[in-house]
Amino acid sequence: MEEQKVQDPNNDPQSKDEILNTISSSSSSNSTQQQQKELVEEEELKRLLVPDVRDLPLTPSSAVETNFVPYFAPDFIKTGHDQYVYRHANGLCVIGLAPTHLAFKDDGGVTAVDFNVGKSDRSGIKVTGKRKKNAQHFASNTALCKVCTKDTSYIVRCCVKGSLLEVNDMLITQPGLLNSAADREGYIAIIMPKPDDWLKAKSLLVGADEYKKLRELF
Amino acid sequence: MENETEAAAQVINGQVEAHVISAAEDESKLVRDAVRKLPSHAVKELLSMGVCIRCIFRLIGVSECIYSCTSLSTSALSTALEKGMCLEGDMMDNGLRIQEDSNSQHSSEEPELEPNLCRICLGILQFTYHDGKEMLMKSDCANEFALLIAKVVKQEGHQIDSFSLEVSIPSRVMENEQAVWLYMKRKYNSELWFPEQLHSEFISAKDVLKLSITNPLETLLDIKSSLSSAFRIRLTYTDSAVKIKVQKSTEMKECNKRRKTGADDMDTIGGCVAAGTDHSNSCTGEEYVGRSCNGLHNHDFPDLSQFQLEKVSEPCRLTFLCHRNPVYIGGRYLKYSRNVSQTRWIIDDERMGEASVEEIIGSNILPIFHGDNYKFHAAGREDIDVRMLGSGRPFLLEIQNARHVPSEVSIKEMERKVNNLENKLVKVKNVKVVGSQGWNLMREGEAEKQKQYAALVWISRPLEDDDLKTLSSLEDMPILQKTPIRVLHRRSPLEREKIIHWMRIERIAGSSQYCLLHLCTQAGTYVKEFVHGDLGRTHPSVGSLLGCRAEILQLDVTDVKMDCF
Repeated sequence: MEEQKVQDPNNDPQSKDEILNTISSSSSSNSTQQQQKELVEEEELKRLLVPDVRDLPLTPSSAVETNFVPYFAPDFIKTGHDQYVYRHANGLCVIGLAPTHLAFKDDGGVTAVDFNVGKSDRSGIKVTGKRKKNAQHFASNTALCKVCTKDTSYIVRCCVKGSLLEVNDMLITQPGLLNSAADREGYIAIIMPKPDDWLKAKSLLVGADEYKKLRELF
Repeated sequence: MENETEAAAQVINGQVEAHVISAAEDESKLVRDAVRKLPSHAVKELLSMGVCIRCIFRLIGVSECIYSCTSLSTSALSTALEKGMCLEGDMMDNGLRIQEDSNSQHSSEEPELEPNLCRICLGILQFTYHDGKEMLMKSDCANEFALLIAKVVKQEGHQIDSFSLEVSIPSRVMENEQAVWLYMKRKYNSELWFPEQLHSEFISAKDVLKLSITNPLETLLDIKSSLSSAFRIRLTYTDSAVKIKVQKSTEMKECNKRRKTGADDMDTIGGCVAAGTDHSNSCTGEEYVGRSCNGLHNHDFPDLSQFQLEKVSEPCRLTFLCHRNPVYIGGRYLKYSRNVSQTRWIIDDERMGEASVEEIIGSNILPIFHGDNYKFHAAGREDIDVRMLGSGRPFLLEIQNARHVPSEVSIKEMERKVNNLENKLVKVKNVKVVGSQGWNLMREGEAEKQKQYAALVWISRPLEDDDLKTLSSLEDMPILQKTPIRVLHRRSPLEREKIIHWMRIERIAGSSQYCLLHLCTQAGTYVKEFVHGDLGRTHPSVGSLLGCRAEILQLDVTDVKMDCF
């Protein structure tokens, strides 16, 4: 990250000591010494905290960009069903709709999201504990939910074989999050694949550059 | 048992301070008096069984003072005993003399120079043992033995102001003494000298050893023995024969049973019998004990004269251990680097970050105390890329087996050493020596207290004055935080409520979209997620409150509000 340049910690504590030393040699009263010391520490803290604006990027990368590696599944199962898989360094995968998904091309975009697909309601299962008890193991083509537009609906799938940790139930009441922030608050689900399964799934996904090239997004 | 030791130690304190020669005279008089009171026939019998003099004394119930007669050698004891017994020789029972004769052949097999190991205490009370290098060690008196221990203690280089003595002896000693005691009880129960001992337990070999060497150790080390001392001298005697026995019983799949009986209370006849039976099963050498124990249990034991103890060919192996209870150093640490973790963090042989607070503080303070090892505890933690500034965070450093006692000077030395390191990654302050209660103090505050942070925040539109008001108007605001994605792989998926106590935006000169967000939160709040919202999983978030996208570039802890240190 770029913050390394913001402050150089190597010099700061040193200078503080020098100031403190001058104070202790000049000041005779204990309480004034204490007050002075606190003052110095406060200024020192401020100096450490306030960055130099010249070191800051005009637009910093977002938390999503920093923390995830984006992958895409263009035309997953069906043509135009473009989904994304954002993989965190800890192995978890956030699943969602890529900007080029057919649903966004329909008039008015997404109007509803229904997690009641397949054998169970995906939003009704509560995963608990460190060991993720109750998590369902899904294949890559298992349906996660149905997103509806004015005229039709689309099945969103896992893309990655693994345990379903959670679905974004905010979408039930706020389906519009998909239209406004599909790559953030409009994510569909979080899946935890086993390391081997991830490697298999990864080989069928494409990276951000290839996806953009494919969809002529440049 | 421990009280006995202390009481006895107090009784004889006066003697230690007295002149050595007169003390020796006193002691020999004490011994002469004690010997005169002994039932000679029983003593003779015990001697013939191969029981050492100190074991005889304790089985017959000679008062405790005798054991702390430190200058008295084993040979002097036996001379005194011989004399005493000869005086009363004509009182001796004929039957016993015959038995002694039958055993005399046995004892003459062993040359005088070869130490006859006591068949009860395995030589422990004869100060005979094997050291770590399988060397046979033999001290003639307690003083000599104490001298050896004192040498070991001094070699370790401990600064000590008191000590406590711990002795561990093999269970075989207890089995032996129980068997002999039961035998004597059966045989001499009717005699006048015996009954008064019936109800009082005889003093254990462990305590006799402690009584014998505590005083000389106090003198040699020039410190007092105290049960509450943080410095412990531990003598561990292990039975040289046990290894074979256990192996054999393992073969017979009786390992568990053997262990269980070993741990049982040997004071009960049942326990003793069980152990005896076991031995006779596992090892032919144990048969005597086994049979005799069984016999004792049986009220129709036919011939008391058949009782014999197994010959001891190997003394116990003795290991000395000097150990000081942990020394605790409390203080607060500051972390100036975003590439230093709190604790050593290694994944697949690869170190995360350039160093750790734990190692920087521990490795610099440990040598000052000449300890064996250290353990680092802290009140909470921060991410590797988060600096710890301002107040610093309370920590506790536990120094194991410190040789040097902390002093004012060493405290200052610790601060100086850590704070003057070349790289200036970590500093410490408020360093002081605390008791082990410092631990609880720190743990208590950990969950309850407030934490203050400064975050460098960027928002997706220019900052307005209203934004400053919006955030500063919020006080003790509850937020709902789902387990952040970055830790969801190892933590339970939950939604936790946390409190944001207050927020204050500080503008940064020359930038419209960057600001410093000062905030105070309940301990356990994920601050990074509170700023960017974690895909809407933390709500509300700084972004949702300001109606825009908020990103966090860096985070620093500026205050950990805790009473301790």
